[in-house]
Amino acid sequence: MSAWLRLALASMTLAGAAQAATPAGPCGADLPDKGRQTLQSGTTTVVWVPSRWPIPVGQHFSLTVQVCAPEGQNAPQVLRVDADMPLHKHGMNYRTTLKDLGQGRTRAEGLMFHMPGRWRVMVDLAGSPQNLRLSRELDVP
Amino acid sequence: MALQVSIILAGLALAAGALASTPGRLLDFTPAERQSILQHGPWPPPPARDPGNALHGRPEALALGQMLFFDKRLSADGQMACASCHLPSKAFADGLARSLGKEGLDRNAPSLWNAVHERWQGWDGAADSLWSQAIRPLIDPREMGASPGHVARVIASDPQLSCRWQRLFGATPASQDSDATALVQAGKAIGAFNASLVSGPTPFDTFREALARGDTRTAARYPLSAQRGLRLFVGRGQCNVCHVGPMFSNGEFGDIGVPFFVRPGQVDPGRHGGITALLASPFNLLSRWSDGPPEAALKTRHVELQHRNFGEFKVPSLRNVANTAPYMHDGQIATLRDVVRHYSELNMERLHADGESILQPLRLTPGESADLETFLRTLSDPGAQKWKPAKLAPCQPASTPAMSTAP
Repeated sequence: MSAWLRLALASMTLAGAAQAATPAGPCGADLPDKGRQTLQSGTTTVVWVPSRWPIPVGQHFSLTVQVCAPEGQNAPQVLRVDADMPLHKHGMNYRTTLKDLGQGRTRAEGLMFHMPGRWRVMVDLAGSPQNLRLSRELDVP
Repeated sequence: MALQVSIILAGLALAAGALASTPGRLLDFTPAERQSILQHGPWPPPPARDPGNALHGRPEALALGQMLFFDKRLSADGQMACASCHLPSKAFADGLARSLGKEGLDRNAPSLWNAVHERWQGWDGAADSLWSQAIRPLIDPREMGASPGHVARVIASDPQLSCRWQRLFGATPASQDSDATALVQAGKAIGAFNASLVSGPTPFDTFREALARGDTRTAARYPLSAQRGLRLFVGRGQCNVCHVGPMFSNGEFGDIGVPFFVRPGQVDPGRHGGITALLASPFNLLSRWSDGPPEAALKTRHVELQHRNFGEFKVPSLRNVANTAPYMHDGQIATLRDVVRHYSELNMERLHADGESILQPLRLTPGESADLETFLRTLSDPGAQKWKPAKLAPCQPASTPAMSTAP
């Protein structure tokens, strides 16, 4: 393998690792405090912050989701962000879209809680052998 | 004799004065109840825009829209205007169970009051803006049955309409690039007019404002029966789960066990059909006709068609509800009292298996039913019934200053 090719491959690997690696320091340290939720599963940490706090009923909002893994490991990819009302047995009327912001950060857009009550927010992460779901319930007055 | 009459009259006057100044009674609302009550205001809310409508808020567009709204010539046979199903004297509805177009239609005409504050238009939410909703009945063969060319010709052939059109768009409909352009612009002018229909404060709002500022004396003037009904509304009734906020509606859709058969063998698909129609519409906020930025179309971009949408209908705003009988998507419930009875005696068998799971029959006593109805009746703006179209000064050609007057 030529030196040029080795250098090119090394650069690509570093670049790839930089996109998946999360910033140093506490997970999502630079995200706002208002409405911040921290979820943990094993060595994976998820921090999410809504674009509006308190989350209003009947208005669209987005979630900024930061996924963190131990140093040196790639943060799992966010596959899906969704929400439902377990007691009411229904979800949202809208499906979210995901925008990759890099460094383990994703913005989920299009959420709306269309009634007050207890909502469950779910973040699905890519995993092996199976995907991982982290969820948190919150009361919306 | 004259002295005796004078004494009696004086006594009556004193009694009347005493009644007027006798303070009412204020229920001891809990902090949680108070918080729920306050969430139903203030009214009016911050102004809303008709999304994707560059004509929104422009006085000239409002004036043109008002003229078009009442003009029967826009229909193919010259017999129907928008105002034929949305009469100002009937809260901009028509008082019929199902409206009449060229033939009997399948649904009840919703009131246009405060429609600008609705997220979706129509019982099925098939339109994501007032302007696109205005276009639909114009060209629906069962309603006004017009074509884009017909709309353009009507406007071009009327000196006043044409004058206003030219002042607004700088060209006559005939000289624009297509009849579809004229149709969309007519829809946007009508949408601009409809966006102006925001009703005023109600007796409930007066009570709510008094409660918010701690004015118990004024708050106590709100009828006790209405207060009890309000307590039911935000409490045991859980009505405010769907009839939420200043509009008394979450602007979304639900199944409340109302039968959705249009006629034997045919069902109304409700929101399911609405989303399908919305996404297929050439006039939705994702279309080239929208003047709005991408974020204006966020709701349309993210709405999801789900099985449970079948048979769901829009949660209507309860503002002016006492003036918009009959009720439900097809007017099958005649009176407000019957609506209360519907929820009191809810038939759980009629709910969809995958529908809303919190609905339960309320089992109201006669007194509670009366209280809830009394409360609902306080959500009407007394001034709404007096609405009159703005008097418009004649349009002068573009070489002279505009004379039209906004309402």
